[in-house]
Amino acid sequence: MRLLPVLFAVLFLLPPGAARADLTERQEHLLASNCLQCHSREHTGAPLLGVPADWTTRNQQGEDGLLRNVIEGLRGMPPSGYCGACDEADLRALIRRLSGLNGGR
Amino acid sequence: MPISRRRFLGTAAAGGLATLAAGCGPRATQPQMPVSYELGKPLPWVNWAGNQFCRPARRLGPASEDAVCDALRRATGVVRAVGAGHSFTALVPTDDTLIATDLMTGLADHDPVSCQAEVFAGTRLHDLGPLLAGVDQALPNMPDIDYIALGGAIATSAHATGPRFGSLSSTVTGLTLATPAGDLVECSALRNPQLFAAARTSLGALGIVTRIRLQNQPSFDLTEVNRVERTADVLEDLEDRLARHRHFELMPILHSDFAVTIATDPAKDGDRDAGQDNPRALNTLRTVFDAVGWIPGSDQIFSWLVDRVAGDQATVRTGPSYLVFPHIREIRFREMEYAVPADAGTACLREILDTVRRRRIPVCFPLEVRRVAADDVWLSMFEGRSATSISVHQFGDLDYQAYFAEIEPIFWKYEGRPHWGKLHTLDAGRLAARYQRHWRDFQEVRAAVDPQGKMLNPYLKTVLGV
Repeated sequence: MRLLPVLFAVLFLLPPGAARADLTERQEHLLASNCLQCHSREHTGAPLLGVPADWTTRNQQGEDGLLRNVIEGLRGMPPSGYCGACDEADLRALIRRLSGLNGGR
Repeated sequence: MPISRRRFLGTAAAGGLATLAAGCGPRATQPQMPVSYELGKPLPWVNWAGNQFCRPARRLGPASEDAVCDALRRATGVVRAVGAGHSFTALVPTDDTLIATDLMTGLADHDPVSCQAEVFAGTRLHDLGPLLAGVDQALPNMPDIDYIALGGAIATSAHATGPRFGSLSSTVTGLTLATPAGDLVECSALRNPQLFAAARTSLGALGIVTRIRLQNQPSFDLTEVNRVERTADVLEDLEDRLARHRHFELMPILHSDFAVTIATDPAKDGDRDAGQDNPRALNTLRTVFDAVGWIPGSDQIFSWLVDRVAGDQATVRTGPSYLVFPHIREIRFREMEYAVPADAGTACLREILDTVRRRRIPVCFPLEVRRVAADDVWLSMFEGRSATSISVHQFGDLDYQAYFAEIEPIFWKYEGRPHWGKLHTLDAGRLAARYQRHWRDFQEVRAAVDPQGKMLNPYLKTVLGV
């Protein structure tokens, strides 16, 4: 399946030196299909990947707090970020990648 | 004279109307999410609107057609598929096996001569536009949200607007279905035609669609012009506008004399963006309505506010079709939509507007009025007749049931068919009466493909009468 263009786009969204979570190929796919619809698109109200300032306040909740908000949905954030295939480990990895929490890993 | 939605909403908020709201006692709200998550416990599945949920025992995300078939063969209990989870109805919930199509995405094949492309069913429309553009193709028409998965869109006959365009299901020229028994079956008008006619809008009752072949057109650009106008003027001119524009829709602002209009046409040289779409405008509208809605004669005040503060400039968006068709959604809501025969649309709309005012139903979420061409898909809302689709909405934290209960009988009066992905109260008997030509045909195909009812959750049993 031709996801490579999307995955390359994901890589280019990260500024030089930005933290990178270690995502599996499957998780990269889930990120591209779901999270990046909003987190790489301006004016959606969602904090953007690669823009640390968007995450500063949110990250004060810690990973568990962010995880709960992701699963339940919050304001414009859809429950589980639209990801029906995600388990808890997937969501935690995706949260770290997007938010930069724990160095993004 | 056209007036601008953007300026109206911005000025109203800046004018301090929001400060009135606290003293007027805005309506009681309810939590938007039906479940809370406890750390370490199994993840619940919740739909986008937050009105459907389940706790599936097994949650799978196959990455290939073989894996989908294998999952179906091994599954016990009720199996349901999920794409983005944007349906308001209980199509997805199962406590047994939930199969997500998130990993079944991308372009499988394309043909430049026929301008067709085969796409994996989990592909979000958001990704589909760029994928098709890469092979110089584009969907001829596209819903105004692009978060949804193609498979889910087809399963519920999702649509956009434009009298020359049918639903997304009508653009499907072939598909591949993983049956409940775990077999992969290809179908089209020539190959397994009965199964094809049923599977183009199936509610996910026939198995899991894995690949979809779409009839596209060469890539194109569009320009959308979005403004606020007097509803009466628009309705007077509605058929002309529908004929004049490639796409046209109308969003009447309840309790006011005004409506947002959205006219979309092929882009011309020199078209430029003007203004900016504001996905939070609905919140501003709600604040204003809450501020004045309690005052006797508030409809006149509300309308007066629109008239006084609205400007005369339109919002214009121009660019590749797949970027102009969709709009960002930040506000969670609940929705009921019916497709009534096209020539009954204006009368039905007038009756809804009149009912909301006369009964003083406290809702300000705009209606949405679109036109869709007839198609030949057995369970499409547009089967055999072009239709005016009318949607009513309520904010996700407000009770919708009393409001929808007032409006739904109006849709019945005009022989409306409910959108499969949106809230309604019809059961199988009353649905069958609305699909007289092919209801039984669909049931026969379903029974042949899934004799044990593996794909039927309680909701599907109710609406299909199984």
